[in-house]
Amino acid sequence: MPSIETVEREAMEAVAAASSTQELRELEIRFLGKQGVLTGLLRAIGQLPPEEKPRFGQQVNAAKARVQAAIDERERELKRLENAARFERERIDPTMPGRRWRVGRRHVLQATADRIKAVLGGLGFEYLESPELELFRYNFEALNYPPDHPAMDEQDTFYIDDQHLLRTQCTAIQGRVFERRKPPLRVFTIGRTYRNENVDRTHGHTFHQVDCFMVDEGVSMAHLKGTLGQFARSMFGSDVRVRFRPDFFPFVEPGVDYAISCPFCGGSGCAVCKGSGWIELGGAGLVHPNILEAYGIDTDRYSGFAFGLGVERIPMMSHGIDDLRHFLENDLRFLEQFPS
Amino acid sequence: MKFPFAMLRDFVETRLGPAEVGDLLTMAGFELEGIEQVEGDTVLDIKVTPNRGDGLSVFGLSREVLAKDAEARPTELYERACRRFPMPDDGDEGETGAFASVTIETEDCPRYACRMFRNVPQGDSPEWIQRRLRQAGMRPISLLVDLTNYVMLELGQPLHAFDLDTLAGPEIVVRHARPGERLTTLDGTEHELAPGQMMICDAEKPVAVAGVMGGLETEVTPATMNVLLESANFRNTTVRRTRKQLGLSTEASYRFERSVDPDGVVAALNRFAELLEAVDGGASRVFGVIDRYPGRSDRQPVRLTLARTCRLLGLDVTLDQCRSYLSRLGMEVTEAEGGLLVVPPSWRPDIVREDDLIEEVGRVHGYERIPEVLPQGSTPQGGVSGVYARIDLLKDALLRAGCTQVVSHSLVGTSPLDDPSAERIGPKNPVSADAAWLRSSLLPCLADAARRNGAKDLWLFEEGRTFAMGPSGPEERRRVGIYAQGTLLPDHWRKSDPGRADFFAVKGIVEETLSFLGLEAEWSAGSDPRLHPTRQASVLVGGELAGVVGAIHPDVAQDAGLPDDCVLAELDADRIVRTPVEPRRFRAVSRNPAVRRDVAILIGKDVPYAVIERVVAEAAGDVLERQWLFDVFEGQGIPEGKHSLAIALQLRKFGGNFTDEEANQVRDRVVEALARLGATLR
Ligand SMILES: [Zn+2]
Repeated sequence: MPSIETVEREAMEAVAAASSTQELRELEIRFLGKQGVLTGLLRAIGQLPPEEKPRFGQQVNAAKARVQAAIDERERELKRLENAARFERERIDPTMPGRRWRVGRRHVLQATADRIKAVLGGLGFEYLESPELELFRYNFEALNYPPDHPAMDEQDTFYIDDQHLLRTQCTAIQGRVFERRKPPLRVFTIGRTYRNENVDRTHGHTFHQVDCFMVDEGVSMAHLKGTLGQFARSMFGSDVRVRFRPDFFPFVEPGVDYAISCPFCGGSGCAVCKGSGWIELGGAGLVHPNILEAYGIDTDRYSGFAFGLGVERIPMMSHGIDDLRHFLENDLRFLEQFPS
Repeated sequence: MKFPFAMLRDFVETRLGPAEVGDLLTMAGFELEGIEQVEGDTVLDIKVTPNRGDGLSVFGLSREVLAKDAEARPTELYERACRRFPMPDDGDEGETGAFASVTIETEDCPRYACRMFRNVPQGDSPEWIQRRLRQAGMRPISLLVDLTNYVMLELGQPLHAFDLDTLAGPEIVVRHARPGERLTTLDGTEHELAPGQMMICDAEKPVAVAGVMGGLETEVTPATMNVLLESANFRNTTVRRTRKQLGLSTEASYRFERSVDPDGVVAALNRFAELLEAVDGGASRVFGVIDRYPGRSDRQPVRLTLARTCRLLGLDVTLDQCRSYLSRLGMEVTEAEGGLLVVPPSWRPDIVREDDLIEEVGRVHGYERIPEVLPQGSTPQGGVSGVYARIDLLKDALLRAGCTQVVSHSLVGTSPLDDPSAERIGPKNPVSADAAWLRSSLLPCLADAARRNGAKDLWLFEEGRTFAMGPSGPEERRRVGIYAQGTLLPDHWRKSDPGRADFFAVKGIVEETLSFLGLEAEWSAGSDPRLHPTRQASVLVGGELAGVVGAIHPDVAQDAGLPDDCVLAELDADRIVRTPVEPRRFRAVSRNPAVRRDVAILIGKDVPYAVIERVVAEAAGDVLERQWLFDVFEGQGIPEGKHSLAIALQLRKFGGNFTDEEANQVRDRVVEALARLGATLR
């Protein structure tokens, strides 16, 4: 009968020489299995004097444990080698082009409108829409335009028939809202407007506007400035400041033109702000008391503000787009330049 | 309003330079639009808003400078302008009255005044006047005409000089034109006049369009010896209507439309006389002023309360500040309970109520002093909800389906893809032929986008309004259009099916989109003449027509310059987003395994699949979890007029497993039901 040491040495050599996990399984059976060589040594235990029996048993079990450990270790080693070989076989060039799934892109005007919706919606303004094919009444009369007044000349209007026109300003929604609702209210809209103008780089007959207004108790020019400031900082960056300058729109009193400090140069002057440090965004003011009164709103109790701005201005500024005509021409080489 | 800076210095002493005055005026509401050097002086170009006719003069803008710049001082000229250039003969008609009578027959002329000059000098005006007119963008013509223009530039009051000797008789009548009357204006155009147009007439006929332009026959010429100089005030709406009807527009009509100070009428005649005397050294003889002022009206005082002023501006101003600001603008201010009683000056017809005064206080105080404060108080629901949220979802679904959004013009030309069922409408005053109509459909817009991008793989959609004549007038409707050509997936070096644009690809997008919105669609054969007659469908949502899908008609494709394998869809977005969605009740999810049975049948091609699908569903009952068509075959071995369909049935029970036998029974029921449609097993 071979000694424990001999059997263990033989097992260890075989394990070290094994070249596959399959071979290791076989060695495990051959040495450590129920019929295995090392296990078989225990059967000779009966021939030993009783005082040697425990020690012999311990020695055999210790040898079995060492062989098992060697097998496990060798197995991990072999697995490592096998994986390494497999990974080398399966190597790809990850810089080759991916399988592109076609995901639709929002139009840059839609992406801008969606940002505006998120900001004004977050400030508590409700989004509503009104017709592009508008009644003369809502586009002008309801907005306190005096009859036959040159203020209407500033907006060359497309007329469809005696009553209908293509709205020249999204502000036309105000009368429709005041007709149906009572204060307090906070509403904004984004939509398409039309002016009968010849088309060039900076003029179009079709463009998009935001109009935003609120009516509540004690609404002031300071609230208008605060809201515009918050809106401008959400859209353009946290350092932006708002400036008011007197201007005239029949539907506000006082009326202002508002500008933001240039987000590109911080106000020191650059190409975007044409050196002035300020970028004019649109018109604003307190809703004209004639309008509130016309809709039965008590002007001693309530006041409101309104502001508007052009949607195209925003991507033109932030992407440096220099020609208004790009927006509605749908050249994918233009549209695909901007993330959705 | 263009003027040389030197003219402003005539009225105001200020340490500010031209650019600084430009900024100051901008912050006062008169925007500096341009600043340039012309003939040795700085010329300011100031935009005057249509409510502020008083800003269309150097005198008027000087008033704004003095109100905003506390360090500026009025000059002697400014003081005299405020006193209306008093002359010794004020109030005395003198020989002018002896020569002429003035009759005003219309309410549209609140005031008419004139002054007679005899032996006026001929020739040009002095160089300094000519230069200042050129700097202001006006053309020097002759001494008399230049002086009228110069006074208008200074004071804003248009003047007109008649050659006295060409007038018929000693009479001036302001009245509306009579039918059949004609007048040739000094631009050489002959006008047929219509009632409602306001004219200045002599004893016989119209000699000038009131407030717009003089007549050719009575204009001053190099030979003119004697002049009747008119200074008047006309109602803005009448001037505007008349000049629009006659197609005229002048410096005078521009000012009258925006209002001219009725109290400055005589002052302008006097300033003219003063300047003429300075030029000719008193050679010409000046006669008195006839002044008819039937439209004189006292301005009503407007009350300003300090509390409302502070509340609306959102800042604290004192009563003293209000008083000071308003006085500087020429208002008469007296103290009243809780605020001020303010009489606006004659040149400010725009000030009629308290909030107009509050704007003036804010403007002079400076809007830069208004703080930023966020609104407090009750907040109604904000954000996007209701149909507007559904529209956003609809667009989202199309983006996810791989379509790129385009946004096109609504003003368009004519296209073979215009909606054939729509009576198109367009502006009465189109800007050009290719923008003469409002789009009746989004398909022509998508076709334009497709052509612009050429032979690429294109999967496009547009959401927008379309327009047509409705039963009770012009109407607009929100639609969604889809255009597909080429493959859905870009070509890739690892070959796989890229998906081609065909009817079923676009139908799939529409199905997926409607399902995304929680809506069920019904499909039937369509009859849109723009589409392939046998490859199109109508889609119904909630039982109503909600759109069409189809391959383009090959003839239309040719006319529209599109490939004839492109596929189009147009949906009625208004109908879709307004269709109510059935509330969904939770259904428990079975934990038992599903079994599949396939049915392959031969059936006539005239049996619509929608019918087969319904029959299968009814025959299989509740255990049918899903059915789908997985193969269609026709041709070899299949009889003419028939095709072979392979349909998969996925069956599942709740709380128990299907045995083979039970599953086969379901399949047999389906086969039996299909047999009643004429199907045979294959
Ligand atoms: Zn800048």
